[in-house]
Amino acid sequence: MLLALYSNNLYSHDGEKHIIKGHSKADKLEQCVEPTEDMQKNHFGYLYHQRDETVKHGIRTKQHSLANCIDCHVSYDDKGDAISINSEGQFCQTCHVQTAVNIDCFTCHATVPREKQVRLDLKHNQDSATTIEEHTSSLAKYFNETNDDRY
Amino acid sequence: MTDTKITNRRDFLVKSVTALSIIYVVPDIFPMADASIKKPFDKKVNASTKWGMNVEVDKCVDGCTACVEACIDENGLYGLDRPETDSQWIRKLVIKDIASDKVTTLPMMCQHCENPPCCDVCPTGASFRREDGIVMVNQHTCIGCRYCMMACPFKARSFVHENLTQQLTSAPRGKGCVESCNLCVNRIDHGSETTACEEACMKEGHVAISFGDLTDPNSRVSKSIKRTNNRRLRADLKLKQSVTYSGF
Repeated sequence: MLLALYSNNLYSHDGEKHIIKGHSKADKLEQCVEPTEDMQKNHFGYLYHQRDETVKHGIRTKQHSLANCIDCHVSYDDKGDAISINSEGQFCQTCHVQTAVNIDCFTCHATVPREKQVRLDLKHNQDSATTIEEHTSSLAKYFNETNDDRY
Repeated sequence: MTDTKITNRRDFLVKSVTALSIIYVVPDIFPMADASIKKPFDKKVNASTKWGMNVEVDKCVDGCTACVEACIDENGLYGLDRPETDSQWIRKLVIKDIASDKVTTLPMMCQHCENPPCCDVCPTGASFRREDGIVMVNQHTCIGCRYCMMACPFKARSFVHENLTQQLTSAPRGKGCVESCNLCVNRIDHGSETTACEEACMKEGHVAISFGDLTDPNSRVSKSIKRTNNRRLRADLKLKQSVTYSGF
C-alpha cells in the first residue's frame, strides 16, 4: 500500500515539469547518472557520499561529483557564457526555492565550470596548455629539449 | 601425489607459513612493483605513495616569485588587496645569517608533517593527513576556529575572512574556513606528477623545488635529496615533515 503511494508522482509539487531556460548539456540527455526519480530524491545523498570519498580518499570518479553535475546542468546565455547554476530560474534553484531548502554548496564551490583565469607570462610559451595532462607533457618535452641531465 | 597433501601438523605449518610469506613478505621486498602505475580515479589513495618536496635553497633566487604566482593561479587565490588577511598558501622568506651576513630566500608553505600539530588540535577532525602524506583541511567539517593556525610552527595556514565569488572548479574555498597548501591535490589525483610551484620554478630555470614520491628512489625529490644534504626546519619539534630544505 505504501509502495503504491510512493510510486505516484510524489516529487513534482504542482504536477508540472520545471523547464529551465537556456540550454544545457543535460537537456539533450535521456536521464542523469542515475534514474531520474532516484536523482530527484537522492541526489544529495550521492553528493554527500562522494564529497567525503574525494576529500579524504582522493577518489575522483566523475559520476557523482558536483563538478560534473555543474558541467552538465549549467545553462549558457546567448553570448555563450555559462549562467551561475544557483541563480534564479536555473537548475538547482528552481526546485530548491520551491521546497525552501537552502543550498550551501556554492559559498565555496564554483557555480559555473571555471578553469584557471590568470595566465602567467611563461618563458617557454606554453600558454596554450590548458589541461593538466598537457601541462605535464609539455614539461617533459621541455626537459627533453633542454637536455637537462639532472633528472 | 602424497606430497601435495597436508598429512600432519608439521606440513600444515610449513605450508601455511610459506603461503603467508608469499602474500605478505614478497610485496614488501618489491614495493616498487606497482608504484609506476598511476592510481585509477576510483581507487583510494594509500600509503604506498608518500608525496614530498625538497627545496634547494641555494638555487632559489631573491626577487623571484614564480612559485607564489603559480600557486595563486592554480588555486584561484585572488585576494582582496589586503595583505594582512589575504590567503597565502606559499610565501617567500628572506633569511639572513647573522655571522656571515649571507642572505638566502626560500619558499615556505605547509610542510606536510607526519606528526602534524594542526591535526592534533583540530576539534572537528577537519585537519587531517591523507594516506599518501598530504595534510589538508576538509572544508566541509572545518568550523573556522583557527586553532590549527596557532598550532602550526610554520605559519602555513590562512583563514578566509570574506565572501568569495571567483573560485575555481578545481579549488573550492570559502568564507569561514582555514586553508593551506595541499600539494596541488587536484592535479596529483588526476595523474600529474608536478605541483604548480615546482612547474613554475622549473620553467623559470631555477629548479630549486623538487616534488615527487618519497618512496620512489627515481623520483625527482628522492634524487634531489640524495644529491644534497637536506634537512627539516625545526627538526627539534620532531614533526617529520615531508617538505625538506637543503643548501643552507
